[in-house]
Amino acid sequence: MRGAVALIRARWLAARSYRVRMVFSTLSLLATVVPLFFVANALQPIMADKIAAEGDQYFAFLAVGTMTFLLLPVSVNALAGEIGSGINTGVLEALLGTRTRLSEVLAGLIGFSLLWAGLRAATMLVGAWLLGATILWSRVGLALLIVLLIVLAYVPFGMMAAALVIAFRTTGPLPQAVTTLSALLGGVYYPTHVIPSWLESVSGMIPLTYGLRALRRTLLEGEPLRAVLPDLAILALFVVGLLSVGMIALRVALAYARRVGSLSHY
Amino acid sequence: MTTAPLTASSQHASASAARPADGEPIVSVQGLTKAFPERRTWGEILRAPWRRARRITAVDGVSFDIRRNEFFGLLGANGAGKTTLFRMLSTLLLPDAGTARIAGHDILREPHAVRSALALVVPDERSLDWRLTARENLELFAALYRVPRRDVSTRVGELLEAVGLQHTGSKLVGTFSSGMKQRLLIARALLARPKVLLLDEPTRSLDPVAARQFRRFLRDEIVGRQQCTILLATHNAEEAFELCERVAVLDRGRLLAVGRLDELMGEVRDDMYRLTVRADHVDDALRALARAGHIGATLDDGRGTARWAVVEAPIPGGPDGVADMVGHLVRHGVAVCGVEHRPVTLADLLERMVRLKAED
Repeated sequence: MRGAVALIRARWLAARSYRVRMVFSTLSLLATVVPLFFVANALQPIMADKIAAEGDQYFAFLAVGTMTFLLLPVSVNALAGEIGSGINTGVLEALLGTRTRLSEVLAGLIGFSLLWAGLRAATMLVGAWLLGATILWSRVGLALLIVLLIVLAYVPFGMMAAALVIAFRTTGPLPQAVTTLSALLGGVYYPTHVIPSWLESVSGMIPLTYGLRALRRTLLEGEPLRAVLPDLAILALFVVGLLSVGMIALRVALAYARRVGSLSHY
Repeated sequence: MTTAPLTASSQHASASAARPADGEPIVSVQGLTKAFPERRTWGEILRAPWRRARRITAVDGVSFDIRRNEFFGLLGANGAGKTTLFRMLSTLLLPDAGTARIAGHDILREPHAVRSALALVVPDERSLDWRLTARENLELFAALYRVPRRDVSTRVGELLEAVGLQHTGSKLVGTFSSGMKQRLLIARALLARPKVLLLDEPTRSLDPVAARQFRRFLRDEIVGRQQCTILLATHNAEEAFELCERVAVLDRGRLLAVGRLDELMGEVRDDMYRLTVRADHVDDALRALARAGHIGATLDDGRGTARWAVVEAPIPGGPDGVADMVGHLVRHGVAVCGVEHRPVTLADLLERMVRLKAED
């Protein structure tokens, strides 16, 4: 993992050099939490009974959903963005010319974006807690594992998008479709059981549905690992299946680019 | 423009002629071929969506060998296939046919081993991280090239010194000049101690002074001290003359000749002169040249002025021939104020090699 760590460090050093942008990126999150607090409190009487199984405080429910959703666009878009600019600038060519394995290069390319998004998400959660959201910090270890699984389930969509960029220079509607469907049907703003039954089956095909349910039951209800294991098992299946598809898509795209010569020009 | 008659020792391109007599070659290219589909317009796609795109051959059965520690040039105009050849050698592009061996490793069967032996200097300065320092850039790639951790600091320091960037300190790469960035790109490629270095037109964005310093650095430091074999792609004949022991001449993907550049240049006529004549005497000058059996041409490249024009023509016979020709022009009423010998250019070489190939 030395190559991946070196890439993450380099991205950190580069990001650190944009000092003002870094500060604003974090402060803007705290400003997001405040309106969330007021909206959630206003909707609390309506939502209380609907979210009974995932904590009965709508503000905490919403904070956990929004915090997790912060990680999704990064997971889905970061790699395609890095690959696209890497092709444009010659960085990808330089990276592929080294002795580092492809999987390590990919991890290094998105590692910093994911860690930074994770830090922002944690900042947001702390902000929500300071405003009164009931968060069970004793369960944070299991919560981190669940968040990791959610991210790993969405990174493959980023790999598929990156494969599309390598082959066709566009991600098409894939990232937008994945994030929008996850936001609407994955239980970010409301529990999935309030969705009409014909749409609920679609919701069952979205990894976020299982991840968020397990995360809320852990972080807001304090339920043990055993209770959320079924959701985690499905999430893990998503991770294994999607990662395999993502890796194959990337390898096929790279082989295609090596054949047609499109690795070095956008 | 006339051309000199062919000589018996014409440098017909062939792999056997190119093979060095002594020692195992470090780079052995055997019949490398690559064709790309031609981009079709929307109209063509709509009219015949099922038709396959025509393929354009970028590299056509190229073969040559390079000896260890040799400075070898790949000479050709834009679109000759130099960059495509480099991409294939560095395993970033798969050939349609043929193969190559780098330090004994096949580019198709052992791409990882090839990448350990060879480094492509990506010419794009943007492939550096401009928000990092030179040292930070090199430390990143030292990790990617698997330089042992304990050696990273020393190796990076050595290379920064070798390329003259040791005093850049905390200065970000974005503030470097083009020449500094090019040298940093080379240092990056040298991190893994490659046996072969591929350089694709490294001086194209440098001013003449920086380009000359850079060429000296390549010859003295990289080949001289670092003992690296260099394969340099260039369309600059002067650069090839100054640096390369041998060159391969490419034209539209075909290998026209391989050999010592001075021998190849010997095949090209070196009797082109530029005559500065009175602007209103140009037609008289061209007629007088034609009477003497030479075809001249007016140069329209800004060399002339309102009063003086420049005519280019072959004048055989050395200094005596030139003196005779000037006398001939003056006798025909042409006012001549200057004569200048025009050095052989890449265009001359290519023209000559294409002609030889056609007659072969």
